[in-house]
Amino acid sequence: MDWSVLLVQATINGLIIGLLYLLMAVGFTLVFGVMRMVNFAHGEFYMLGAVTVYFFTGVFHLPFLVSVALTFFGAIALGALLEWLILQPFRRDELNGMIVTVGLAMILQNVALIIVGPDPLSMPAVAEGTLQLGGIVVPNSRVYVVGFALLVLAMLYAFLRYSRPGRALRAVVEDFEIASIQGIRARVYYPLGFGLGVGLASIAGALMAPIFSVSPFVGAAPLLKAFIVVVLGGLGSIPGAAFAGLVLGLCESYASLFFDSSTADMFIFAAVMAMLVLRPKGLLGKGDA
Amino acid sequence: MTTMHGNVLPKERKNWVWLVVLAVIATWPWFSGVFVLHLAILTCLNVLIVNGLSIIGRCGQRSFGHAAFAAIGAYVSVLLATLADWNILLAGLTGMLFSALVSFMLGWVILRLKGVYFVLVTFSFGELTRLALLDWSEITGGANGIANVAPAAIMGFVFDTRPRFYGLALAVALLSIWLMKKLFSSHFGHAIDAVSDNPALAESTGLSVHKIQLVAFVLGSSLAGLGGVLLARYIGYISPESFNTSASIAFITMFVIGGQRSIWGPLVGAVVLTPLPELFRGAVQTQNIFYGVALILILRFMPGGLVSLMTWLKGFRKAKQ
Repeated sequence: MDWSVLLVQATINGLIIGLLYLLMAVGFTLVFGVMRMVNFAHGEFYMLGAVTVYFFTGVFHLPFLVSVALTFFGAIALGALLEWLILQPFRRDELNGMIVTVGLAMILQNVALIIVGPDPLSMPAVAEGTLQLGGIVVPNSRVYVVGFALLVLAMLYAFLRYSRPGRALRAVVEDFEIASIQGIRARVYYPLGFGLGVGLASIAGALMAPIFSVSPFVGAAPLLKAFIVVVLGGLGSIPGAAFAGLVLGLCESYASLFFDSSTADMFIFAAVMAMLVLRPKGLLGKGDA
Repeated sequence: MTTMHGNVLPKERKNWVWLVVLAVIATWPWFSGVFVLHLAILTCLNVLIVNGLSIIGRCGQRSFGHAAFAAIGAYVSVLLATLADWNILLAGLTGMLFSALVSFMLGWVILRLKGVYFVLVTFSFGELTRLALLDWSEITGGANGIANVAPAAIMGFVFDTRPRFYGLALAVALLSIWLMKKLFSSHFGHAIDAVSDNPALAESTGLSVHKIQLVAFVLGSSLAGLGGVLLARYIGYISPESFNTSASIAFITMFVIGGQRSIWGPLVGAVVLTPLPELFRGAVQTQNIFYGVALILILRFMPGGLVSLMTWLKGFRKAKQ
């Protein structure tokens, strides 16, 4: 095969993976920004998204897009509810809050295990056929996934940029105290911020479900990647997380041309550590170190 | 620690009563069969490892890759003994030293940043250590792990039976508790407490927060390394999955449920939680849900952990008098 074709193919795969990381990391950053807690349950919401979409399309025979939308809003509602029920006393309590999310993750994963069982399920592709551009072949299902992911991002951007609740949420992420002085009500924005953050994780899971397999264990890897992306992008910076997500996806995809995946992971970890020494505020220099 | 004030004489006597009670409990496994002995050994090793977590925790940090340092200790010591034919004691010490070295390098980088980076990076490090052990299968045996690890031996005395190994594990666990007690009543221990109470204030009084946290991290990770060395020698088998993220989280669970602010927390946490999987045998999911619920409930209603029950009882008794 031609070297340049291989490279383009790797770029496309990298962008798909990068979009997944981006959605995970932006959601994580949103939760961290609002709650000041590391959300260890983030990967489990990815898993819930994948499992729910599997059941909506496979068992109830709903169209894919409808299932993804239902999953997304369901996850926002569940996230907001869990925040209100469980996380409320731990808001901005960095140490204990994060251990509470560890407990939450254990509960979510094992409840899913009891209901779904440990075996990986595979979901049918969203679309048949392939898209051919020059010598490059991309399965249509992947094109769809990328399209949906970009749509979600555009909507998220519009929401955060132009809508009142979106702007309020950004203000809370930026500086909680000043935001409250401006009359932004924490009572509303804690559950909303957490719900929206885990909603993004669930939509990442929902979109990736037709590409990867679905099981109660799929949340662990995206969680790890979200952590690395967030460190790479500079903690607390949403643009940093988005940029670093794409960069990490592309790097991994190119690296997989030369190494096996765990060797690539080692190199990336070493690179992240080197970056923490040289440039602790993240790739875009906007995070707080 | 200065939490317990009171008259010197009665307290001394009470301490003796406690010591006798503890000594009876600690000798009990020798007379109660293989199964209890097995659990007692695991409990002792968990006390040692969670004590390490507690030293790190006292600085206001939570290491989510604690099992990885146990893995480093275990693999380095076993590989040095099998591949390079090192003496078991020397290999074990080197394994522990390796854990210290790696934690030093990692800590030097991440402890200069905000506390959250520590969580994110230790978690990632734990996962990647597991992946690396799986991947370098020519040396580490990959997913199959390394079987038939020779039992521990010190100066020709071989700890090849459970009663013997329990003696070793108990001694090490007690030693680690004694070390913690000494550490936290020392000058350095007070510096650790100062750092966790208010890092900015500690820094302004001339303490180097970075240096203190780094020393605590290296010390705590070395205890994990020693725990890994001993675990490998006791079980006789190591694999990457013995030291995965679930293991790290199990240590954190013990630490939190036992009590995060007391030197007795790790002991209580390990004693309560180590035998628990036996109750839930065959129902791992139920056990994990129970752990999750317990973590949330303890943090919500008893943030001092189970140890705080004791202080509560003490207060209750005093109120009655």
